[in-house]
Amino acid sequence: MMKRVIEVEELTRVEGHGRIEVVIEGSEVKDVKMAIFEGPRFFEAFIESVHYEKVPDLMRRICAICTASHSLASIRTIENAFNVEVTEQTRILRDLLIHGEMIESHALHVFMLALPDFLGFPDAITMAAKYPKEVKAALQLKHAGNMVHNVVSGREVHGMNERVGGFSKIPSEEELKNIRTAMAATKPTAELAVELFAKADIPDYVESENILMALDPGEKFGFMGDYVLVSDGTRHPVKEYLNLTNERTVKHSHAKFSSYKGSSYMVGALPRVLLNKDKLDGTAAELYDKYKDILTGKNTLMNNLAQAIELVHSVDRCIEDIDILLSNGLQNEGLVEVEPKASRGVGAVEAPRGILYHDYTFDENGCVLKANVITPTAQNAANMEKDYRVAAERMITEPDEEIVKALEIVARAYDPCISCSVHLTRIRR
Amino acid sequence: MAKSEKPKLGIFSLTGCGGDQLMILNLEPVLLDLLSRFDIKDFQEGSSYKEECELDIALVEGSVSTKTDLEKLKKIRERSKMLIAIGDCAIGGCVQAMRNGQMSMAERMRKVYGVDEDYYDVLEPKGLSSYVKVDLEIPGCPIEKDEILHAITSLLHGDMPEEIDYPVCVECKLNGYPCVLVEKGMPCLGPLITAGCNARCPGLGLDCIGCRGPIPNEANVAAELKVLLEKGYDEQYIYNRLRFFGGNFEDIQNLTKKVSEKAGKKE
Repeated sequence: MMKRVIEVEELTRVEGHGRIEVVIEGSEVKDVKMAIFEGPRFFEAFIESVHYEKVPDLMRRICAICTASHSLASIRTIENAFNVEVTEQTRILRDLLIHGEMIESHALHVFMLALPDFLGFPDAITMAAKYPKEVKAALQLKHAGNMVHNVVSGREVHGMNERVGGFSKIPSEEELKNIRTAMAATKPTAELAVELFAKADIPDYVESENILMALDPGEKFGFMGDYVLVSDGTRHPVKEYLNLTNERTVKHSHAKFSSYKGSSYMVGALPRVLLNKDKLDGTAAELYDKYKDILTGKNTLMNNLAQAIELVHSVDRCIEDIDILLSNGLQNEGLVEVEPKASRGVGAVEAPRGILYHDYTFDENGCVLKANVITPTAQNAANMEKDYRVAAERMITEPDEEIVKALEIVARAYDPCISCSVHLTRIRR
Repeated sequence: MAKSEKPKLGIFSLTGCGGDQLMILNLEPVLLDLLSRFDIKDFQEGSSYKEECELDIALVEGSVSTKTDLEKLKKIRERSKMLIAIGDCAIGGCVQAMRNGQMSMAERMRKVYGVDEDYYDVLEPKGLSSYVKVDLEIPGCPIEKDEILHAITSLLHGDMPEEIDYPVCVECKLNGYPCVLVEKGMPCLGPLITAGCNARCPGLGLDCIGCRGPIPNEANVAAELKVLLEKGYDEQYIYNRLRFFGGNFEDIQNLTKKVSEKAGKKE
C-alpha cells in the first residue's frame, strides 16, 4: 500500500518551535503527530523553595506574549492560598491589564501571523507593501495594548508592577488618559479585523465536533474567574481543574495529553465567545450578532474571527475601566498585608490562548513546596491533532503541498504558544 | 539601494520565552522602517520565507538547553559573519539556569515529567558563548527596545555598539530615587546588576531582581551577600535571589554551593 508521510518541518509564524507529521496509507490517515522541539525549562522544578513574593516575577517568564496572564494567574493562586482580599481599585487595574494584554497579543496574531495566510503573503512585512495602511493601523492597535503593559505593569514584557496584594505604583491620571485616547483612536482597526476575517474565505476542512471550555467571567465578558464552563452545560470550580484537564501519557508520544471525559477539548477565543456570548455588550455584541451564523464551534479556524471580536470588546473595556478608575479617583493605597501559611492555592485566568492554571503548595514561611502549571497550548494539543487528522482526511486526494498549507493554517488558528513549554505535550523527535 | 546590497539578517530563537524577538516587534512605530533596511533571510516567528544562505548578522535569543539547540546554534555560527546574543537566556541561561550545579537534569525531569529518562536530549541551560564565539551580547530579560535599536542602527553604520559596564545604582542615583536597599531594607540586587534599564524597578518602588544579569567581571557578590545577611534575610532566600538570573555566574555558583550541599543531603 502506498505510504505518504506529510511533514511540516518547522511551523512558522507561531510562537516557539513545532513540527507536524501526518502519515497516510492508501486512502487512510494512519498517524498524526505534533512534535514540539522547544527545550523544556522546568519552571515547576526550579521554583521550589522560592519565597511567594517573587514567584510571579519568575513564573511570568514562562511566556513573553502572555506575560501578564502568567503573572496574574500566579498572583491569584498565591492570594487564594493565603486568603488575600484585594481592593476594588486593584481589581479594576488587573482587569485593565489583562484586556491590554489581549489587545497586544490578538493584534499581533490576527494581523501579523494569521491574516497573511488568507491574503496570500509569507509575512506581514511583505503584506505591508500592498496593505500599508492596514499593517500600520494594526501596529497602532498593538501599540495601544502595549501602552497598558507599560503603564500598569511597568514595561511591555515581564513587567513587575502588579504584585501579590495590589500594585506597587499607581498609574497617574495623565497616563491613563493617554491610553484612553489611543484606544478610542484605534477602535476602528479592531472592527476592521472583524470585517476582514468575516469576509475572508475561511475553509471548512476542520469542521467536526469540539468540546469547548472557558472561564465563567461573572456578569460581564472578561478573562478572570473561579469557575470553568464546559460546552456540555456543566460548570466546575477552578480548584478541581485536574478533573477537567486529566493529563495522561499516550503511547505514541511518551507525553502528556489533556482530555475531558476521554475527548480532546478546545480552549481560547472561540470557546470564550461562544460560551459567554450573552455577556458581550456594545459593539462586540453587535458584531457577534452580525456574524453568529458563521461563528461555529465546529470550525476551529473561526478562532481568528473570535479573537477579532474580543479585540473590539477589549478596546471598549479598557476605556470603561479607565473611566471608572478616573471617576473613583486614584488612590495611592499600597499593598494589602499578606500573612503566609502552609497551604495550597489554585488560580486561573484566560490567557490570550485559553485557560491558564497555576497551582502551588507553600510551607509555613510562604516558600514553594510544589508547583503545577497547565498552559492553554498544552490543553489544546490533543484537539489540534484531532483537527490535523480531520483536515488530512478531507484533503486526502489533494497534493502534499496543499495539505501542508492546510495543516499550517490549522496550527496557526489556535495561535499556539509553544514557548509556554512547561508541561507541554511533546513527542520525541 | 538595491535589495541585494542590504545586509542579510537572520533572527533566531533557541530555548526561552520569545520575549526578545517580541521586543523587536514591539518597536511598533519604527518597525517596518527598520526591517526594510535589511534583507531578512530567516525569521521563523515572523515569516514563512526562509533562505539558507550566508548572513551578515544573526540575532539569537534563547539558551542552549537541548542538543537540538546546540546543533542549530553551530549552524547559525557557520553561516553568520556576526553573531549577536540578545537577552539573558542567550547570555547566562536566564531563570532556567537557576538550579545549575544544584539540581541534576534527571532530577528536573523527574519533578516535572515524572520520569528520570532524558526524553528530550536536555543539556544544562547555558548561554551561547559557552559553545561558540559571540561577537556582541545585549543583556536584559527582556532586552530594552532603545538598546537593541541603538545597536542595530550602529551596526548599519558600521560601528560596534558600546557595552554597559556599570551597575543599576548609577541610574538610580541619576534619577534621584531613594535607595530601596539602604532606606527601605529591601533585598535590592542593583549594586551587582548591569545598568541600562534606567533603574526601572526602584522607580516603581521595587527592589531589583537582577534581570539584566551581573556585570561581567565586576559584580562583587560577596559584598552584596554580606549586606543582605546584615539586613536579616536568610541564606536560602538570598541564594535563591542571586540565582534567579545568575545561575551560571561563577562567583554566584561558588557562594551558593553551601546551600546546594545542604539540599543534596536532604534528598
